[in-house]
Amino acid sequence: MNSPSPIDRMTAVRPGLPGGPAWTQRRERALATLRERGLPDRRDENWKYLDHPRLAAYAFETAPAARAAALPEPGLLPIEGARRIVLIDGRFDAALSNRLATPGLEVTDLGALFKQEPGAALEVLREPGADADDRYALLADAFAAGGVLIRVAQQRDIAEPLYVVHVATAAEPAVQHARLVVQAGAHSRLTLVEHFVSAGDAAVLGNLAAEIALAEGAAMTHLRLHRQAPAAAQVESWRVRLAANCRYDQHLLALGGGLLRSNLHVALEGRDAACRLDGLFLADGERQVDLLTRVEHHGAATKTVQDYRGIAAGRGRGALNGRIVVHPGARGADASQSSRNLLLTPLAEINARPQLEIHVDDVQCRHGATTGTLDEAQLFYLVSRGLDPAAARALLTLAFCQDLIGRVPLEPVRTAAQALLAAAIPDRGPSAGTG
Amino acid sequence: MSGGEMILEVRDLRVRAGERLILDGLSLAVRAGEVHAIMGPNGSGKSTLTGVLAGRPGYEVVSGSAVYRGRDLFSMPPEERAREGLFLAFQYPVEIPGVNNVYLLKAALNAQRRHRGLPELDAFEFLGLVKAKLAAMRMDESLLNRGVNEGFSGGEKKRNEILQMSLLEPTLALLDETDSGLDIDALKVVADGVNALRGPARAMVLVTHYQRLLDHVVPDRVHVLAGGRVVKSGGRELALELERRGYDWLRAGTAAA
Repeated sequence: MNSPSPIDRMTAVRPGLPGGPAWTQRRERALATLRERGLPDRRDENWKYLDHPRLAAYAFETAPAARAAALPEPGLLPIEGARRIVLIDGRFDAALSNRLATPGLEVTDLGALFKQEPGAALEVLREPGADADDRYALLADAFAAGGVLIRVAQQRDIAEPLYVVHVATAAEPAVQHARLVVQAGAHSRLTLVEHFVSAGDAAVLGNLAAEIALAEGAAMTHLRLHRQAPAAAQVESWRVRLAANCRYDQHLLALGGGLLRSNLHVALEGRDAACRLDGLFLADGERQVDLLTRVEHHGAATKTVQDYRGIAAGRGRGALNGRIVVHPGARGADASQSSRNLLLTPLAEINARPQLEIHVDDVQCRHGATTGTLDEAQLFYLVSRGLDPAAARALLTLAFCQDLIGRVPLEPVRTAAQALLAAAIPDRGPSAGTG
Repeated sequence: MSGGEMILEVRDLRVRAGERLILDGLSLAVRAGEVHAIMGPNGSGKSTLTGVLAGRPGYEVVSGSAVYRGRDLFSMPPEERAREGLFLAFQYPVEIPGVNNVYLLKAALNAQRRHRGLPELDAFEFLGLVKAKLAAMRMDESLLNRGVNEGFSGGEKKRNEILQMSLLEPTLALLDETDSGLDIDALKVVADGVNALRGPARAMVLVTHYQRLLDHVVPDRVHVLAGGRVVKSGGRELALELERRGYDWLRAGTAAA
């Protein structure tokens, strides 16, 4: 399935990677596992819907040195007071980042850390396991030369959003590995906005391995907005760990790029940790959005709410593999997952695969998945009031995800999402009508 | 009674839904200024009649015709019928979460105005207009900013239909069992709304199972539908007779005919 092995195509760049002997060893370990097991393919249960040949067709060779980097300014989100962290082709760019000097916030260039304190980098960066769902993270472990570490000191409330812009600039097909680590101290608060954009239209594959660790009582709001070029592909592997009394809210808005595979693993380790995962994807044209969520309840009285909405049109394909695991210690846990999907054209496809694994009594778990088309009765109602049928369809499509967008806590992100949706939905009506 | 412009003329209409023939030779003529009531037992084809006239999908016109102000109604798509002044008040108004009620009202009115070459109303003009209508329907302003019919009570949904009707000022209003499920106060409000719209330029067709709406909206003509056709027509007294005797005597009549 995965031949001609992307892994063999990648090994050539290894000697240039920073970090000294300790990292050479660790990368060898990662590579050995990758050579032995390969990348996941459709026989791996959480990867069955992904278009593997399409992903394998991307260049797995690392990019040549990036061109003089510039931010695609008009594409930036006008987030007031944002503290901007820019990653160009997976590497932290201090010159393009700004407003990072504030008490309690520490932003570290992982590229520099590899070179200067490889031992510290070993500690900061989780070593992925051999599990198929962790295989792309392992790939990043083997090849990433940079990224960013964000630390928030305990008790600190970073009021202004941290705005992480991931820019792909390569003019040629290439792969870009990156690491991102967020460590939030006890009772700290932060909002992280991640924005994935392309500076060109090359077939770039981004591979991001990221970790978030919230210490006791910390609260984090996390927005992920994808709007890369149609030729771009992105694989992300997220590990989120919540200690007791933490609160983590995520809003995923997958509205761009050609292919997105997102692995999100959330572990609610401490008592009373709570998490909300909202996700909206639009798979139109040839776009494919393939999501994996694995939520593990370890602590007692932990709570998660997942609300995923997918819209597919054209030859778009979407998938949600959502697994909830409630471990023996998680008495009184409450977990729900909802996946609602809308197919706008006959060739579009969305697969939802919710799974529950419960190892303890005294828990509340609910999941539900629906996939359907626009409601004919609603359409006729609008048309019977004189609305154009195409405008009525657009209006109902926007209405389908209106509450999800309404929950996105930052206005500029909401507006950008609205605009991307309205522009993508054929024969759109005025978007002012939803809300 | 006569003399007004012919608004709707249905001739010998046969309509099928799936395999079933629902309307079977129905004829009806409604002129401007008139209010017609169509009564009949369940399954007689009342809702099919309003549905097929408004353009609801799922019906097949087998034969016959419907002419609306001189034009073949069935040649017009439903949105054009609406813009040309035909309005259907739904028996079961649809809930549309995520689409703002006031937005729909404005979009509907402006679609009609564009169609007629009139300038669109801006938000300010529109809001003034809609608030006046809202007060007349004794509806709470908060209903404007809810999703269309979302979480509305039965009475609120029906009032919302009449609100739309009074805003769009149709030439032909079809009211499909608008009285069903209403308590007496809501019925009064709805009837007042309908009466306020009566006028020499407008025609109305009220479809109803019971005659109690007709206590408040006095029709010019009453038609009884059975077996997919009009089996009896008369004045208001016919409704009272139906109230007294039920529909069975007419069904016997059809069978004999």
